[in-house]
Amino acid sequence: MKKTIDIIKQKRTVPPGVKEGVKMFNKLKKEIFKVLKEKEMTILEIANEINADVDSITFNLMTCLKFGTIEVGKLDDNDEYYYYKLKNR
Amino acid sequence: MTQPNKFDALIIGGGIAGEESALNLANMDYKVIIVEKDLSIGGKMIHLSKVFPTLDCGACITTPKVSETARHPNISIYTNSEIQDIEKLGENNFTATLLEKPRYVTEDCTGCQICEEKCPVIVEDQYQWNLVGRKAVYVPFSIANPRIAAIDIENCSLCGLCEKVCPANAIDFSQEEKRSNINVNSVIIATGYNLFDPLKIPRYGFGKFKNVVTAMQMERQLVPTRPYNNVLRPKDGKMPDNIAYVLCTGSRDETVGNPICSQVCCMYSIKQAQLLLGALPMADVTIYYLHIRAFGKGFCEFFQQAKGMDVEFIKGKVGLIKEKENGNLILRYEDIQKGKVLEAEHDLVVLSTGILPNTDYSSMFKNINIEQDDFSYVHQVDELCCPAKTSIDGVFVAGTSSGPMDIPDSILSAGAASSETAGYLKGGIR
Repeated sequence: MKKTIDIIKQKRTVPPGVKEGVKMFNKLKKEIFKVLKEKEMTILEIANEINADVDSITFNLMTCLKFGTIEVGKLDDNDEYYYYKLKNR
Repeated sequence: MTQPNKFDALIIGGGIAGEESALNLANMDYKVIIVEKDLSIGGKMIHLSKVFPTLDCGACITTPKVSETARHPNISIYTNSEIQDIEKLGENNFTATLLEKPRYVTEDCTGCQICEEKCPVIVEDQYQWNLVGRKAVYVPFSIANPRIAAIDIENCSLCGLCEKVCPANAIDFSQEEKRSNINVNSVIIATGYNLFDPLKIPRYGFGKFKNVVTAMQMERQLVPTRPYNNVLRPKDGKMPDNIAYVLCTGSRDETVGNPICSQVCCMYSIKQAQLLLGALPMADVTIYYLHIRAFGKGFCEFFQQAKGMDVEFIKGKVGLIKEKENGNLILRYEDIQKGKVLEAEHDLVVLSTGILPNTDYSSMFKNINIEQDDFSYVHQVDELCCPAKTSIDGVFVAGTSSGPMDIPDSILSAGAASSETAGYLKGGIR
């Protein structure tokens, strides 16, 4: 059976921003997963470790949390920041 | 036999006012069509945590109404659709052009979200007010009605994975826009309101400082289906312990073109302050206000209750917000009671944004003009005797389309709109 994706591919092209966005998210996700493989970390610690904008780490980490690939650990000693870990690490 | 394209009433907008009007008319055995431009009915209320001053769960009140509307045999619902134009042909006789936009997912969708798992695209989730990401194929939110996925074609990578994995074969990229004519006897405008865009006040730093959020973003942080695991700062995930509310952001302000009071900002801010003290018991909450307008039943007691919970109220206008290196924010404000310009540090600032008219309705009417009031809301020509009556016979207004109001007033207004519409359909109100 012919897939309908072929129909829309004849009418539309993928905007460059979409491809760029997918690449950037995957790159950042890979880096977050790599550092969380070692140990649980707070958002600030992850941002320092991979040298990335802290707000983009928050956005992407929370997106991973929403889709169930990351889970929440304990609070830090000052009750300010949560630790995050890989699910089924 | 009923004609498929003929209805007694066309209701534009499927929020709380539209649903209430539709249910009232449908229960009187009138055939009603609701046209909603969003992917789900429920309007803005379905996204709220609790309502003031009772602190009842917003979703618990609205979801039964949403389901009842969706299941009613006399109500037809078109989501992701718009009314392009309306022409009055005579009394009890309007024709309208309905535009159905493609969702690229058929009604066979079971809402299993397997497609969402596989989709590689991440964009800002508009239903979480951009605090978190969503996929290009997505179920709008957990209590959406209809709970079927949609494809955001502007952000789709056209990889086709969703179509490959869908167990119900519900993905259909061949869908196209569809226009059809409908014939209706009356119209109810229930298009609701828009929220003020705080980017229009650059000195508050919204968009630039991540720890300056809107009250709607805070509202989402307070619901069980929140974007984060707790109430956190969007910049660095810190649990805030000193939160400020800036009231009248974009209302009662001539400089941004909205001189009127939005009627709800004081009370929703007081509500959120109380909920925050429940979620973060150690936090301090300060509300910067011009006047507290606690005019409704139980509102003043609700305000006093917040004071009793140690919410601090400062009568003063915030002039400027600056960001420190650690993400904390410095608020420069005029303390009206002390007569001094002061500065205070907070770690999260919530802008209590005002209500603006949704003027989508104004361009719909083709051969007849619908009057607007001085602030671009639908003009109520006989506000005391027939509050839903507009400048066009047979066209009525419900909810915040006629001006800022809270949820109980919207429901009341919808009751007026449905009874006046029923009167018109029976040949009474002209």
